[in-house]
Amino acid sequence: MFKKLLVANRGTIAIRIIRACRELGISTVAVFSTADKDALHVRMADESVCIGPPAAEDSYLNIPAILSAATTFGADAVHPGYGFLSENGDFAEACQRSGLNFVGPRARHIRLMGDKPRARRIMKRAGVPVLPGSEGTGVTELREAQIDAKRLGYPVLIKAAAGGGGKGMRIVRDANELARLFSLAQGESEASFSSRKMYLEKYLERARHVEFQILADNNRNAIHLGERDCSIQRRHQKVIEETPCPILTARLRDKMGKAAVRAADVVGYSNVGTVEFLLAPGGEFYFIEMNTRIQVEHGVTEMVTGVDLVKESIRMAMGQPLALKQRQVTFTGASMEFRIYAEDPERGIPSPGVVSNHHTPGGLGVRVETALYDGYRVPVQYDPLIAKLIVHAETRAEVIARAKAALREYVIDGIKTNIPLHLKILHDPDFNRGEVSTDFLRRYEPPPVEARPAVAPVSKAS
Amino acid sequence: MEVREIKTLLVLMRDYGLVELEIEDKKGKVRLVRGGARASIDEADAPSVRVATPIKMATRHVEATTEDGAKAAGKIDLEPNQKLIESPMVGTFYRAASPDAAPFVEEGSSIRKGQPLCIIEAMKMMNEIESPAAGRVIRILAENGNPIEYGQPLMIIEVA
Repeated sequence: MFKKLLVANRGTIAIRIIRACRELGISTVAVFSTADKDALHVRMADESVCIGPPAAEDSYLNIPAILSAATTFGADAVHPGYGFLSENGDFAEACQRSGLNFVGPRARHIRLMGDKPRARRIMKRAGVPVLPGSEGTGVTELREAQIDAKRLGYPVLIKAAAGGGGKGMRIVRDANELARLFSLAQGESEASFSSRKMYLEKYLERARHVEFQILADNNRNAIHLGERDCSIQRRHQKVIEETPCPILTARLRDKMGKAAVRAADVVGYSNVGTVEFLLAPGGEFYFIEMNTRIQVEHGVTEMVTGVDLVKESIRMAMGQPLALKQRQVTFTGASMEFRIYAEDPERGIPSPGVVSNHHTPGGLGVRVETALYDGYRVPVQYDPLIAKLIVHAETRAEVIARAKAALREYVIDGIKTNIPLHLKILHDPDFNRGEVSTDFLRRYEPPPVEARPAVAPVSKAS
Repeated sequence: MEVREIKTLLVLMRDYGLVELEIEDKKGKVRLVRGGARASIDEADAPSVRVATPIKMATRHVEATTEDGAKAAGKIDLEPNQKLIESPMVGTFYRAASPDAAPFVEEGSSIRKGQPLCIIEAMKMMNEIESPAAGRVIRILAENGNPIEYGQPLMIIEVA
């Protein structure tokens, strides 16, 4: 049993972890940067420690500071949440070396799955279908990318080998675009992941992003908890996630679920994880990657299965055996998550500021996960995801109706949010029919941010 | 509770800027309120250290050196030639290089620029905190062996 858990994160997921710890009787330590001194997670935890100045690299990504906070303040476990250090194998290993229990998979699983080309190779060998793409360790030179692109045939997707979260990704439609986009993507990869290693994949048009939730104990017992369709994305960032996937039959769910569990089994995975697939219009599915952490959208799975994934991740980390057998996993109704971002919906740029008139919707099947409160200043330094609205009902149509009502009730003044965009999507006929794919949001894409002219235009004489 | 123990508590209150302190143990309960207290003691303004009360949301259940240390700094008015030494990292505060060594400085000690004032130990590494200027140590705010957070006030020095 953990006595004291340090939450190595902030915002919504920090609140989520603190709540789970309260239920389990584990005391909590929040860490925060000076920019977050008034943050909700700091107030909610039993203890709090300032670990650095505002910049993430000096605070939430600062491994020595976090480890020092954990050992100095007597924590015996660390939960990394999502983002930040959650998929950093060095951090997981450093925790273990300091005698701290890391709530997540082993460092080697994080590293293995973090190397995307390597993960693909392992899955291919294990008989899990994989998208046609770069072989071996990937590509670093444009010349190699050109060879791969020719072999695969356009369109192709350039991806960062050490990547995730949509960074370092570009769709390339022909050979002329390849040179320019390859160097752009590689630059992004170098900035975000300190790596120039890239790889290519065949780009599937009108495919759906369908991921399976995995839960495993430390004894290699793994189950899946169903899928989430995350096709509503903007620039490879998820906006709405739902379960079940509207076009998945029970048979296909079973087939994909088994493939996801096989992916976990083949590496001896433990704790929570998500296996991502691309589902082609014809029903073929392909492994893309595995995320070795709790995900933002874990809530929709919780609503339909009744399983508390964060509590389970802590239980698994404490060495408890998996209590649930695959056949005991049941799914009730449908659920959708709407990611609320502090952004200007007209221009798609972040909108920091002070929140006022904060009112969250409620009622049956309406769940809000947020760290906002009235008078809170949304800081500029961090991810603009400020809340998650998770709706649950018996049918997809009811979820949509319930979500419309909830979003209309939801008030966040003082900053701009993408709530209006969610309402537009909910009224969209294709969305209502469940006919979505990863390019769905293009129709609501805001116009590109225009550069203002340095000098006022001179009016022409008529 | 003996007078000696009460005196220790009073020093603790002064050092951490506490206005009210209530302690209960098997020997009994004592409540100390510093003179000059304001008409209304706002809970967020003057946290009191209580033993064995349920943890409430939006009230920091604090260890003496974290919130109180920071609050003490808020209450301390620095003279124009005084500087606050704040911790650049999370760790444990030590006044000396080792348990049997003499402390680097005492209140009143003269100091040179770059002179070690104290140590913050983090992950078994001893980090010397150097004085930014020549002058004199006015007040030592942190207690030997206590956990320290980033930005926590450690000392007040007077710059020459």
